[in-house]
Parts: sequence; structure tokens; C-alpha cells
Amino acid sequence: MPVRTARQWFWLGSAALLALAGGVSLAVWDRAPRDASALFSLSLPDTSGQQQSLSQWRGKVVVINFWATWCAPCREEMPEFVRAQREFGPRGLQFVGIAVDEPDKVARFAKELDLNYPALIGGYGAVELSKTLGNDLSALPFTIVVDRAGTVARIQLGPFKPDKLRSIIGNLL
Amino acid sequence: MPTRRRGLLRRALVVTALTLMASASAQVNPLAPEKAFRFSARALDPHTVEARFSIADGYYLYRDKLHFAVEPAASGLTVPLLPNGKIKEDQFFGRVETYRGNLIVNLQLQATPPGQNVVVQAESQGCADLGICYPPNIQRVIVALPAAGSAPTPLDEAPKKQWFK
Repeated sequence: MPVRTARQWFWLGSAALLALAGGVSLAVWDRAPRDASALFSLSLPDTSGQQQSLSQWRGKVVVINFWATWCAPCREEMPEFVRAQREFGPRGLQFVGIAVDEPDKVARFAKELDLNYPALIGGYGAVELSKTLGNDLSALPFTIVVDRAGTVARIQLGPFKPDKLRSIIGNLL
Repeated sequence: MPTRRRGLLRRALVVTALTLMASASAQVNPLAPEKAFRFSARALDPHTVEARFSIADGYYLYRDKLHFAVEPAASGLTVPLLPNGKIKEDQFFGRVETYRGNLIVNLQLQATPPGQNVVVQAESQGCADLGICYPPNIQRVIVALPAAGSAPTPLDEAPKKQWFK
């Protein structure tokens, strides 16, 4: 087999660099509806069994995160959410977790993390809901950022890089 | 190398490079679970079904979320012996065992009449290294059990792509 020409190495090298630069963000946001009314009309129980209507957070910048304790990448990004909630909560940011999970596991993890935002229980119905919002694979974590006007500003499949999350939140607050 | 093969190689390299460039500017798309955790099954003998997961690179399945069932229930599936996976410490769940690559599980059926069709159902739950997890996923295949004394049925494989002849 002949030695690769310099030209071929150039093409392969460029391709590799571009692939790296492209990053591994998994936004699927061209698929999602723009209006978050369907989300705000949702009512789900929290870990103590109390029904919580998402409409109570209308007017805030709401970050709705679909997650589960059985999803390690989901758990790993949550400390950053706790930090952001603490820092930006006074300015109108509201994280809401919707767990595709069992209440006792969610409660245990919420306690470990000292969770400072609501952990609602969605069950597998929550997975179906996230599908209508652009989550074709029903995968987790799946996060929707809604602005104060109730418009979907960002959809994220996969972990949210902290600087990306903060930049999006910062622009909306 | 003959000239024709060299031309093919060159074209393959260009296509690969272009694909990488295209996928870098587009979003990275995780595989659908049926592709990431491709399930197949075949009969080895009248009472044994070989169940197989071909797990794509960069994906893994959890051992404790793996469940098999065979229909009709009267087939008498015994508790399958699962191979050893990779053990890791999970911060929340403690010791967790995962599988990558090819996962093969033999399913023993105690009470099937030879020559019958059965439905093999596999439930699995897995994640991708790039940072997502799928909910539990059920896949079902029909397996024709051979009559007594036949050879194992051939494995149903996806056609392999070939760059070179």
C-alpha cells in the first residue's frame, strides 16, 4: 500500500480538528415546539405526594430537567444545577426536576444533594411528554429552558455544560 | 497495490473526512436504542436459544436491568446464567455491573416441543458514554426451534460493508 500523501494527511487532520471543535453538545432544538404552554399546564406529585402545578412558575426563567437516579450522567450534572439555583434564584431562575423514577429513590438523592429546587415524579409518562418536546430517543438527561414569556429558549439532550447553561440563563434573566 | 484499490482507498479517505466534517458542524446524534443495543436470537438446539446483544462502541448495558422472557410461558425458561461484566463503583448505587461489545446469554427451555416457534423477549437498559441514558427497552424476536437432532440455525447478521473487493 502506498504511503499516504501529504494531501491526504491534510484532509484527515482537518476533519479530526473540526470534529473536536464541533464538540459533543446534543441540542435537538430545531424539533421542539416554541410554546411551553403544554409544560405549564402539567401537574405532577413531588416526593411527598403533593401535586405541584408547573403553572406556579410561569413568568420565571424555568429550567425543566428530565432525569432519573438510574441515569448517572443526570446525577452528575445536578450539583451544578443546585449551584445555579442558589445563585440566580433571587433573580427569577427556577429549576424544576422531573424524575422518571421511584419517589423514594428520588427523595433519597434529593436529600443527599441538598436539592434546592422541586423534584417532581413523572414516571414513564414523563418520558412520553419529553418525546413531544423533541426527545425522540426518550433519553435522559433532557432539559428545556423556558424564558419569562413562556417561550422555549433552549432544548438540551445530554448533560448541560456549566458555562453553556450559565450563558443561556444569563441572557434570559 | 493495484491501481484500482488505491483509487478506492483514496475515495474512502475523502468520504470519511467529509463525513467527519459534516457531523462536526451538525449535532452529534446518539443511536436509537435498537441500534445501540442490537438484539438477536437463534436456536442452538431444540431446548436452547442463544440470545445476543451486539452493543455498539461507546454504549453499555446494565446487568441488573437485563430480563429475558420466552413465550409461550409454558416453554419453561429457566433462570439464565449471565456472563460476568465490568464492575464499577457507582456513587449512588454502589457496585454496578455493565456489559459492552457482544453479550451472549443461553436461554434453556425445559418444556418446548421440538419444531415450534417461540418469542424471545429481552428487556435492557443502557447508556451512552457521551452522556445519555435510555429508559428500559423491550425487544422481541421470533425463533424457530429445530426438530430434535438438527444443527444450530445460522446467526442472522447485518450485511457487512466492504470497501475493498
